[in-house]
Amino acid sequence: MCNANDTQPRLKRRPVGRSVEHLEQLMDLEHGRMSRDVFWDRDIYEQELERIFARCWLFVAHESQIPKAGDYVSTYMGEDNVLIVRQKDGSVRGFLNTCPHRGNKVCFADLGNARQFVCNYHGWAFGIDGALKGMHASSAYEESGLDKSAHGLHPVAQIDSYRGLIFATLDPQAPSLAEYLGDFRYYLDAIFDMDEGGTEFIGGCVKSVIQCNWKFASENFVGDILHAGWTHDSGAKAMVGGPVAEVHKFPEQSYHVNFNGHGWEFNQDIVGNAATLGDKEIMKYLYVLQPKVAERLGELRSKMIGAISSCTLFPNSSFLPGQNTFRTWHPRGPGAIELHTWTFVNRNAPQAVKDAWRKGTMMTFSPSGVFEMDDGENWEYSTRTNSGFVTRQQDLYLGLGHETRLTDTGLPGNVYRGQINEANQRAFYQRWFDLMEAPSWGCVPQRDVATMEVKA
Amino acid sequence: MSAVARLPEIPVDAETQRRIEQFLYREARLLDDERWDDWLALMAEDIHYWMPTMENRRRADKLGAYALDRGALYNDNRLDLTRRVSRFKQPSAWAEDPPTRHAHVISGVEVYQGERTGEYVVHSSFVNYRSRVERDNDLLVGRREDLLRAVGDSFQIVRRKILMTQSVLMAKNLNTFL
Repeated sequence: MCNANDTQPRLKRRPVGRSVEHLEQLMDLEHGRMSRDVFWDRDIYEQELERIFARCWLFVAHESQIPKAGDYVSTYMGEDNVLIVRQKDGSVRGFLNTCPHRGNKVCFADLGNARQFVCNYHGWAFGIDGALKGMHASSAYEESGLDKSAHGLHPVAQIDSYRGLIFATLDPQAPSLAEYLGDFRYYLDAIFDMDEGGTEFIGGCVKSVIQCNWKFASENFVGDILHAGWTHDSGAKAMVGGPVAEVHKFPEQSYHVNFNGHGWEFNQDIVGNAATLGDKEIMKYLYVLQPKVAERLGELRSKMIGAISSCTLFPNSSFLPGQNTFRTWHPRGPGAIELHTWTFVNRNAPQAVKDAWRKGTMMTFSPSGVFEMDDGENWEYSTRTNSGFVTRQQDLYLGLGHETRLTDTGLPGNVYRGQINEANQRAFYQRWFDLMEAPSWGCVPQRDVATMEVKA
Repeated sequence: MSAVARLPEIPVDAETQRRIEQFLYREARLLDDERWDDWLALMAEDIHYWMPTMENRRRADKLGAYALDRGALYNDNRLDLTRRVSRFKQPSAWAEDPPTRHAHVISGVEVYQGERTGEYVVHSSFVNYRSRVERDNDLLVGRREDLLRAVGDSFQIVRRKILMTQSVLMAKNLNTFL
């Protein structure tokens, strides 16, 4: 459904700047050691904006949010505000939300349907395709010889979608989305292609601010089920009347898997995450669906549809199967994020089940949710303690699950035994380091080689 | 879109107005004092406790800033509220220990007759200021629209709609009721 935007130099990019020195001293992942500077240092953050957020494929919208021509959402790629707009031909385009004249935002709404975007400052008007159509007192510009065709909205470099999830990149040199996701698509299908109707986002977007470094959120969802049994004890007791399942006792039935820095920790209990919503209709729906998913995607992936699990798509989008929350952790400086969350459901699910999920994500994983409430505080103080000059010179530990790599599972990607593990977190930071060091995409080490087709 | 149907604004007698104001002020104090079960007892069995999230939409957009089937921080029935209270009371609710200090300030209370005898439509404004550990201070301001029902010599809350001013909640969580 998505076409690539024009990759004309309309979107200018400076050559990459100087790198922060000695990044390699910040972590020794082999031995599970990492520095706290990555969560605090302003220069490192600025380099992240350049080499991670202005380079990677970032989640920008779900197809279902913008079904009709002119439908748009306003979102962020790093700190860059972008508009994601459905075109008349059904394709999707993305633009920087800034007027090329004096730089003001051209759209102040979060979402809606537009025939054009008109800047409040001098009335420059842009079509939904980004083209400059006209402006207030246009004759004045004509006298100065303004070439309207050269002053449209700035397009994102590339935009594409996978299973309803629309991604964009601000780097024309970035590899294709298929290559970027690589073999991780095998796992994504367990959630976003478990049913022939695909998924949709329902119920709008819930936004909040957490005073933490964005990586604490991403690394939590990429592989940290361990925190749940402790951090979320109160939430579990409130929702299901007992503690979180003791997943550390069953490492044979659970995994860490990762590819290109994307990571998923999961077991095969089918409904472990979903159960925390405390809703019987959702449980029944998943149990009825599971054998059908097994026919469609095989036994293993059918057991992931609502299991105890979490996932991060590198760098900053995450989701929880079962609780059906999808979220992006937008960076706002080294010490803050703006969290945008949505509820996703199977499009073919009964309305009552969709409603139960919309309510369930609010009860569990929203700022008022009984689980999320405890996460924010942890991440804020994991970040804030590093204001201490000496404190931030003390290393952190990231060494769980050494020697758990499995090579005989036949599963795609890098597979590790046991979901109580920090293998995915190490892979996440390895990818982070590779991108931070590389002056261009061509210099990023290709550690993971896709076995799935990557041609568009 | 409204949790309470728009009725003609028929005022009530001064004594009823006073009793309802006292009821709301006491409710605020119960929340400040973390008297969760006493607070829960003020909610009717058929309570709908709703705090939608605010979307920034153009004025011309007929969908408006919020709706029942869109985003919410609360969209609760009695069971949901009971579950939230049960988390607050767990010794392992780490983000509540040491306790957060709350000040719920209620003002601008307007009372009108409800559709049925013994029911009242009550508008009020709220300011919630929270202080947590050393320097975590959050301010949330907004407006409420309640449907109250006379029960014995007091009242119960049947519907509450809470509209906050923020579209991006400028805090890591919302660990109280409003």
